[in-house]
Amino acid sequence: MIRRIILATSLLTALAFTFSSNQASAGDPYGMTQVWAHNFAMDRPWHGNYYKQQYGQPLALIVPPTAHMRQTLSWGVSQNTIHPIYHQFGRSANSPGAAAPGSFRPTPPWPSHTDQFGVYYIRGPW
Amino acid sequence: MKRIKLSFFAPYMASIAVAFVGVQAHGQGHSLGGQPLGQEITLDSGAHGTSIISGSPVITNTPPAPIVSNALPPSPAVSSGTISETPLASGSYVGDLPIDGSVSGDTIDGGSIGGTFQGRSYGQPDLFFNFYSQGHSNQLNAQLYTSPGPVPPYVGNTFYTYQPFYPHEMLYWHKDKYHRYYDNGRGMNRTRATYYSPPVRQAISNVYWNYLRLPR
Repeated sequence: MIRRIILATSLLTALAFTFSSNQASAGDPYGMTQVWAHNFAMDRPWHGNYYKQQYGQPLALIVPPTAHMRQTLSWGVSQNTIHPIYHQFGRSANSPGAAAPGSFRPTPPWPSHTDQFGVYYIRGPW
Repeated sequence: MKRIKLSFFAPYMASIAVAFVGVQAHGQGHSLGGQPLGQEITLDSGAHGTSIISGSPVITNTPPAPIVSNALPPSPAVSSGTISETPLASGSYVGDLPIDGSVSGDTIDGGSIGGTFQGRSYGQPDLFFNFYSQGHSNQLNAQLYTSPGPVPPYVGNTFYTYQPFYPHEMLYWHKDKYHRYYDNGRGMNRTRATYYSPPVRQAISNVYWNYLRLPR
């Protein structure tokens, strides 16, 4: 009997974790955050001012399209901030494909911000 | 001490075993906003060949051929001579915006019969496209599928030849449908893909990645 209780408890715990972590949070039945994110992405770049060391260009790191926020870490009080991830990969091919050399700054020898590593998130396409 | 039958454990042991396998098999694919799901795809592909008869209706006075045997399937009624190997209109799909009023992803066939109405449209979508970063303020744009990196065009590229196996579909839990058109868009093959992660395995994976893993 005790085994059965332990087993049932563990299963219920697992199920609770499952539904608490994977269930899509409702509250946006018309997908308005998609529209907002799209509108915000239209007039601001997906990249920061730094290039990735291996490529010489900023690197887009794909995240799931269900990802909402990104976190940046930096030195100092109130420097750890979170921002929405506006950008999402889409079908339209845009230009320019690559920036001219020297358009971006390298990672400083003593990086002080996570954006300085030249990796920036873009959500994957639906 | 009371013995519990094995048949009581049997439905749970399978899931627990799967769960432990899932913990061990979980690679280093840690990304933002949750872990990538266990990559299990269930494909439900069925050929729904809708035989659409194309083009201008040609009415012929020839009597129907006498039926010789019932075993032969009926010949497809596309005898109006409009079948061509090349697509009727080149799929010049450049973006998300529809081109000259046509439905996105379709090409408008002809419309030259009377000139006053719009012809039938057939699906001629570009199957193996790439994805790009969007927006008007980018100093450079990223494409989704470059491996190993941005290379000049003469190097060549690779692409996936089967849409449901695109890796970006494996990022989250969803279902999707894919339509493949053949016979110049007159037939369509519908594939339903379910990108699913077993809940118990995913739960234990979440516990591991969010609570047990040493942050390093």
